[in-house]
Amino acid sequence: MFETMKLLRSLGATLIAGAALSLAACSAQEEEPLRVGMIPDAGATQVSIEEKAPLQSYLSDKLGRPVELIIPTNYNATVEAIGNGSLDIAYFGGLTYVKAHERYGAIPLVQREIDRQFHSLFIAHAGSGIGKLADLKGKTFCFGDINSTSGHLMPRLILKDAGLPAETAFAEFRHTGSHPATAQAVASGACDAGALDETVFRQLVEEGKVPAEKVTVFHTSPPFTDYVWAARRDLSEKDREAFSQALLALQPGQDDAVLEILRGEKFVPAENGSYADVEKVAKELDLL
Amino acid sequence: MPDSLALLRTFFPPDLSPDYLLALLGPLLETLGLAFGAMTLAFLFSLPLGIAVGARLRGARLLVTALSVFRSVPDLTLAILCVILFGIGTGAGLAALTLYYTAAVAKVFADLLETAPERPVEALQATGASRLQIALYGLLPLKRDDLMAYGAFAFECALRASIIVGAVGGGGIGVELAGSLAAYDFQRASTLILLLVLLVAALDRLAAMLRRHPRWLLPMAPLGLVAAWFFGPQSFAFDHAIRVAGEMVPPELAPDALARLPQLIWETVWMALAGTLGAAVAGLLAAFAASRRLAPSWLRFAVRRLLELFRTVPELVWGLVLVALVGLGPVAGGWALGLHSFGSLGRLFADSLDAAPEQPQHAIAGTGASSIVVACYATVPLAMGAILTHLLFRFEWNLRMATVLGLIGAGGIGQALYEAQQLFFYREAFAYVLVTAALVLVTDHLGARLRARIHMPRGMRSPPRPACNALAT
Repeated sequence: MFETMKLLRSLGATLIAGAALSLAACSAQEEEPLRVGMIPDAGATQVSIEEKAPLQSYLSDKLGRPVELIIPTNYNATVEAIGNGSLDIAYFGGLTYVKAHERYGAIPLVQREIDRQFHSLFIAHAGSGIGKLADLKGKTFCFGDINSTSGHLMPRLILKDAGLPAETAFAEFRHTGSHPATAQAVASGACDAGALDETVFRQLVEEGKVPAEKVTVFHTSPPFTDYVWAARRDLSEKDREAFSQALLALQPGQDDAVLEILRGEKFVPAENGSYADVEKVAKELDLL
Repeated sequence: MPDSLALLRTFFPPDLSPDYLLALLGPLLETLGLAFGAMTLAFLFSLPLGIAVGARLRGARLLVTALSVFRSVPDLTLAILCVILFGIGTGAGLAALTLYYTAAVAKVFADLLETAPERPVEALQATGASRLQIALYGLLPLKRDDLMAYGAFAFECALRASIIVGAVGGGGIGVELAGSLAAYDFQRASTLILLLVLLVAALDRLAAMLRRHPRWLLPMAPLGLVAAWFFGPQSFAFDHAIRVAGEMVPPELAPDALARLPQLIWETVWMALAGTLGAAVAGLLAAFAASRRLAPSWLRFAVRRLLELFRTVPELVWGLVLVALVGLGPVAGGWALGLHSFGSLGRLFADSLDAAPEQPQHAIAGTGASSIVVACYATVPLAMGAILTHLLFRFEWNLRMATVLGLIGAGGIGQALYEAQQLFFYREAFAYVLVTAALVLVTDHLGARLRARIHMPRGMRSPPRPACNALAT
């Protein structure tokens, strides 16, 4: 009997101690940060968040409040995070934006000028003998994330229109999860060819992360509307406006570190109407 | 294949720069916090449940049985569901692990408290004690050591699971590994794998210590609560969770998905079969070299270390690496299961050979038979029952893992689930979760029936269920 009492008492004591510690940890919190998320179009690791530190400090300077930068592990999670309120603002691709808008009423804010006329690039492993779309028959092919616009949706449409439906035309196809992964898979020969975001590809080649002699660009898609920054439905207009202004104010020559992270030169206001085509294609391909 | 080898070379050297190691501190803390937090919560929830069952409170048994449904959904599959409900990060991982281990631990606690010795309980009854009093002052102290020992044991499994929930977005070091591999950042991936191996080894030591001194679990409770506070869901959007949960029902598969289902199930079963059988053949060979009776000590030592290396790397980590190297599909999954199983089966087979009863072996050796003849006609046949039992346990476990490996691209039912979830086709995703649970239940049931028919020679006990298997069924 005594033993039990001792056991229960020590259990109780540990509970109280734990609760006290948790309370202490809680009261140390400061002003609520603005939670800004980005789809992991270029990978999702702690390190990739730290590489974006200049963007974070730029935003908190301009907004006059702390900004927390979050990169969920996949595109779906980013949309759900806007839906359940764990993100205030998120950077979406065209298709993920359409889903976030349709499901949770996400409000489009701003986008890069280049996003209004965006392109997918089809790349092939040097020496694979691929020079045009028709050569892809029977090869292995890499798409990016399954929810990516330039890495999956648009390439899939182009392939279908060229008489190469992914399900039957390839020896094998896969979703790599991100644009750099697609570039690396093609450069290493793990995939004969792949399709990806033009800005990511150019940056990887410029930085020497993908050897230019290992990959050839053999096809470019027609233009479509892609990435956009959007807010959750119930974020205050003041916060939305402040965030938009911060990105619209970016100047080449002055904010190069931030612009390089965002892979753009100039930001413009975004509208929901620009995404009608993306939505139509997604429905057609059973991705929506 | 030559490309894969070239790719393999890019894993070296691991990135050991101080900046990177420092940056990994956060994810490492998350992983530990997940395990400690989830286990503390699981114990807190399951102890009252267990006591309620022990006290024979009405409905308590039913509740525990209902909860146990969650045990047939592999922990990582639960994590996927929690990522949908709670959003990204450690909150989802913590919720998934807490749910899974509450279901598992509550069942065992309930079983333990129900099987307390009768006499002391009758004595308490005679004093007019209420059922709750009997449970608190009779059953609990009587079974205290068992509860603690089991706690230490469940804790070990949770630690391993916490390492990998990250692979589907549950937070911690798994996120880093999945992300680095996805970005083809292989030097950092090998840093992370090294870190994981060290972590698993350290945790094994800790778990062994806890098994010897289960009471040390108690001071960990406050730590666990703080961890649960920090790493738990930051905000639980109730209406969002309800809405999304509503989107999952009724589960439904489109006709073309339904037509594809047998193929998907076959891929998953194939993965488990190929991995288990391949590992069994290689493991049996290694077992001879690792046996105390059959091998010289230098060989035994070397082979045992090798086996340890293979089993320290979790299946899912092998899977992430192999999917990056040889591409998607069940072949990568089969290899992942095989490499890990080789490490564990090799060791278990060797122990089975060593545990074979001595007398029959001496009898054959006494006829002047060579040691090879003794091995073939006595040691191996005697150990066969134990070896087959281990093999079946491993197959049951590998089938579970095969459904999980699919989530990271190894094909089969898991991959279909992951893709449906990614595309927000939640009714389809939920249908795949149910198929997974059914597949796991059927396999466990068949495995149990087969195991019951295995004949054990006199003087040899049937091997116990391996560590984390026991939690699952």
